[in-house]
Amino acid sequence: MDILDQLGAVKEGKLSRRAFNRSLFGAGVAMVSMPLMPRRALASPEDQATYFTWGGFDVPELFVPYVEKHGELPNFSIYGSTEDALTKLRSGFVADVAHPCSSDIPNWVSTGLFQPIDTSRLSNWPDVFPELYDMDYNQANGQPDGKIWMAPFEWGQSSIIYRTDLFDLQGGESWDMMWDTRYAGRLGSLATASDAWWVGAIKAGVPFAEIGTDAAFDKIAAVLREQRPLIRVYTDDTTSTENAMASGEIVAVLGWNSSALALQTQGVPVKFAQPKEGALTWVCGPMLHAQAPNLDRAYDIIDSLISAPSGEFILRDYGYGAVNRKSFEPFDDATLAAMGLSRDPNTILQAGHFGLPQSLEWNAKIVSEFEAIKSGF
Amino acid sequence: MVAPITNVGATRPRTGLISRLLFRHEYLRGYALLTPALIVTGLTVLVPCAMLVMLSFWTQVGYGYDTTLTLQNYQTAYDKPIYAALLERSLWISGTATIVTVLLCYPMAYYVAFHVHRHKMIWIILITLPFWTSYLLRVFAWKVILGYEGVINSGLMQLGLITEPLRFLLYSNTAVSITLAHSWAAFAILPIYVSLEKIDKSYLEAAADLGDGPVLRFLRITLPLSLPGVIASVFLMFIPTLGDYVTPAMVGGPDSSMIGSLIQLQFGAINNWPMGAALSVILVIIICALGLCSFGLTRAFRRWAA
Repeated sequence: MDILDQLGAVKEGKLSRRAFNRSLFGAGVAMVSMPLMPRRALASPEDQATYFTWGGFDVPELFVPYVEKHGELPNFSIYGSTEDALTKLRSGFVADVAHPCSSDIPNWVSTGLFQPIDTSRLSNWPDVFPELYDMDYNQANGQPDGKIWMAPFEWGQSSIIYRTDLFDLQGGESWDMMWDTRYAGRLGSLATASDAWWVGAIKAGVPFAEIGTDAAFDKIAAVLREQRPLIRVYTDDTTSTENAMASGEIVAVLGWNSSALALQTQGVPVKFAQPKEGALTWVCGPMLHAQAPNLDRAYDIIDSLISAPSGEFILRDYGYGAVNRKSFEPFDDATLAAMGLSRDPNTILQAGHFGLPQSLEWNAKIVSEFEAIKSGF
Repeated sequence: MVAPITNVGATRPRTGLISRLLFRHEYLRGYALLTPALIVTGLTVLVPCAMLVMLSFWTQVGYGYDTTLTLQNYQTAYDKPIYAALLERSLWISGTATIVTVLLCYPMAYYVAFHVHRHKMIWIILITLPFWTSYLLRVFAWKVILGYEGVINSGLMQLGLITEPLRFLLYSNTAVSITLAHSWAAFAILPIYVSLEKIDKSYLEAAADLGDGPVLRFLRITLPLSLPGVIASVFLMFIPTLGDYVTPAMVGGPDSSMIGSLIQLQFGAINNWPMGAALSVILVIIICALGLCSFGLTRAFRRWAA
């Protein structure tokens, strides 16, 4: 039977059930046999390694060497916070490379889901600042064992992004801005405790070395409770906060370098504050899954991330610090200083408060407490 | 010569035990037909439910579980005020959304069932139109409408009715209720429409003949007969919205996180699966209790109407 006949039958209302079923059957067979038809011989996406990361790092600019070598981008899987990411990995999701931050490393390593990185397989490793990986976070058991669990990829600050035209600064940039009652209902914060709790510690004057104590816990919780009525929205969705900042709905928000830069690029008068108490600083980077199915390509992902062009891209477009020395060459010192960066990472990281690894129990405790605070308890 | 046509199946004695049993007992045939569905339901619903209940009696230790049975999670849920408060808020938000939606959808379904005589299919398709887009897209659409520089605010500003954008529109419980109501509207309309459509029009004529006015006729015929549809739509909407966590996360403010948000966190960031399981079980029990209540109420109402 011809397709035109069928259409004619439909038009006249004479299509019999049998004829209709027959054409459905035909369509079904066609659908099923479709994959059997010849296709262009290309590596299917299953052959590529998978990179599990935040939204924004799934862009081709970061994988130029990888694409040159394999012809395609790696597969991406996106998460909103490192806590969510670890939950997904623990429940059996295998990504070749995942992307946590320095203070997560001991917990992540203790799950047994990761393997140390063999840096001799990374062509760009000699150009990476050693001070970014010779850090406490790579000592999984509190002992320096020479293993590299996380290769650094980007570093930066968590600080206040504020509207220079709408926020009336009194007494310079300070964390007090986020507790300023004049702007009640016009402040924003991050929804995950991993940033907010540490900021609470800075505000409460708790040294990071003591953050694990019960006294510190109560102090920080009290400070965050005090902040709660002033906050219009707690969210990790940077697009939402950037929109809210651009429209003036909120005038100051806890955020990362990239949001400040994105808003400035759009011409919104914002500044990434350098609070006098010091900003919260961090290093994040890729970790290798213990059962990485595409180990060679996983190394290529890491090598791509730490390459000089990728570093230049995150410096210029995201405002994050790069780990490759060569990435800084096109920038002059004044430009870097204006972005809150330096070609010597330590001057920034140590000037601020660097997040320290904490225990799993502590993490669970602060996350539930922060949830209770956010809900008004 | 043509062989005489005989009914072979009826005369031949049935051999195998199974076919004999199936032939004799009608209910066995029913179960045989149901088996595939029962197996799928058992594996995908009952087994996970049993695991959830089991999990709720355990406790989390680091990345593992302490499998000694304890009521500790339920005790925590009872002791800490946050759980009860979030539960109450969820019941309130999703209850409001459900009632508003059902009240708004009933007239719509009534109109399509009784007053549309041609192209009914087009009307049904139009009603389900919002469902052709993804749920997230619908939520984002409301963000655009309710936002600080959104459609409503800029409209009111242009009309000169307000000088500053209304802040309570977005990031509030109102926003969550509105978004839920719109997103689930089709679930409310369709069951009501189906039950209204089934009503035998001669009942209405009979009621009119016997002297009932339009209001009494509606109360004594239409409403009781469409009640199953109303109950179905209340449940179809109330149950999924009660545990929702996406909508409060996207359009809710600090005061609108619901019990679903907390359950999601227990299975995610907080990493306490047994606690999350206990909260889920509590939610299921509450829904069951509400279900039984409404079942009783419906029967009482029917008896009154009859």
